[in-house]
Amino acid sequence: MILYLFLPLFLLLLIILQNTVSEILFFGVVGMEISLILVIYVGFRLDVFKGGMISFLLGFFLDCFTGSFSGFYALIYVCVFLVSMSASLRITLEKAPLIMLFTLMCALLEGIMITILYPLIYNIDIISIPALTAYLPQTLIVVLVSPVFFQIFRRIEALLENVANAKQLKRI
Amino acid sequence: MLFHKKYQTIIIACILLIISMIILSYSKEQPSEAGFFRKLVLEATAPMVNVIHSSIKGINSVWTQYLLLVGMEEENRRLKKENALLTNELLQYREGYLEAKRLQNLLKLKESLDHPTIAARVIAKDQANIIKTILIDKGTADGLRAGLPVMTERSILGRIIESSWNVSRVLLITDESSNIDAMLQESRTQGILQGAGSGLCSLKYIPKTETLKAGEVVISSDLSGVFPKGLFIGVVTSADKGDSSLFQKVQVMPYIDLTKLEEVLVLLIDKDIKK
Repeated sequence: MILYLFLPLFLLLLIILQNTVSEILFFGVVGMEISLILVIYVGFRLDVFKGGMISFLLGFFLDCFTGSFSGFYALIYVCVFLVSMSASLRITLEKAPLIMLFTLMCALLEGIMITILYPLIYNIDIISIPALTAYLPQTLIVVLVSPVFFQIFRRIEALLENVANAKQLKRI
Repeated sequence: MLFHKKYQTIIIACILLIISMIILSYSKEQPSEAGFFRKLVLEATAPMVNVIHSSIKGINSVWTQYLLLVGMEEENRRLKKENALLTNELLQYREGYLEAKRLQNLLKLKESLDHPTIAARVIAKDQANIIKTILIDKGTADGLRAGLPVMTERSILGRIIESSWNVSRVLLITDESSNIDAMLQESRTQGILQGAGSGLCSLKYIPKTETLKAGEVVISSDLSGVFPKGLFIGVVTSADKGDSSLFQKVQVMPYIDLTKLEEVLVLLIDKDIKK
């Protein structure tokens, strides 16, 4: 229960950290979207309610942090989550190349959604080519680091499960 | 259960999508007004960002300082090396300057002398021995031979006692076997200056009738023809008349510091003239 109370805070911390780290490592030119990897991960590991909430919150926090309209990233992340969850019925993401490939697909999906939604919401004709080209290295970075973060998320999940099990045993 | 479990996933997914779209369209319609949750997130974000930024800034600053220190250490090492090189260069220049000054003095002396001279460099000093001699880097090939007087820019130093082709040995005036004609500058009383060892000389055959005082100048006389007349030798430091002897015991301190010899001037006195 406490975990669910603190979960939004952790997610917000993740958003802040990913932006700060990108600012330091890539001087704010390219972002490292760890939140997208988390959304994909929860799509494969959690049920629709928990995973959907996490994805929605992550998107919402990203909206708040980046200054975009509320619901912009929330909608995109929920879509990515649903795609991941649908894919989880057919495939399991265990091997690094598969994780990278799927992350690439999701990052492209996100890119496509941004390209479609952005002009609609912000009333502009089309996103400029430089904006899109800046998105490509970001995608590449996310794809490259995805297996590492999948491993980290797995460890965290295992740790949380152990804590929960220990608590249950204590109660018994 | 309100919905069948089969449709639960689809319904929740649809709800999430609809909520997202509603929020998006609402915020698009009201762009200036930040919602309550957005404000809440922004409020929570500020202190977290501050903490993370200050921590990272701290780490970054430590890292930068470390890099700076590494750079400074390297620069320090480079500067030390440069300093050593420059100091060495400066020493060489100073050495050159002092040498030039000494040579200039020798040149002045050379010009003031009637005889031709030749400058030589002291290559070895053998003053710890009983015989007080020095070696100079000129020999018979340069026209030097035994018996020629050797001087510094200030006074008489001694005479050559042996010469090879390129090296000559000079017997210093402080050596006990050295005897040269000398006289007191003021009274013009003549005597023989003999080395007394330990950097001193004694002036012999000065009658007791002479009244000497410390500081009186002793110069060379040309009685034997070895040294030209009037060259400085030293100053009287003490004079003892004694009781039984006919002559006084006069102690003379040479002008030159024999331990600091570097360049000397050899007077090329003609053999025939000397005779």
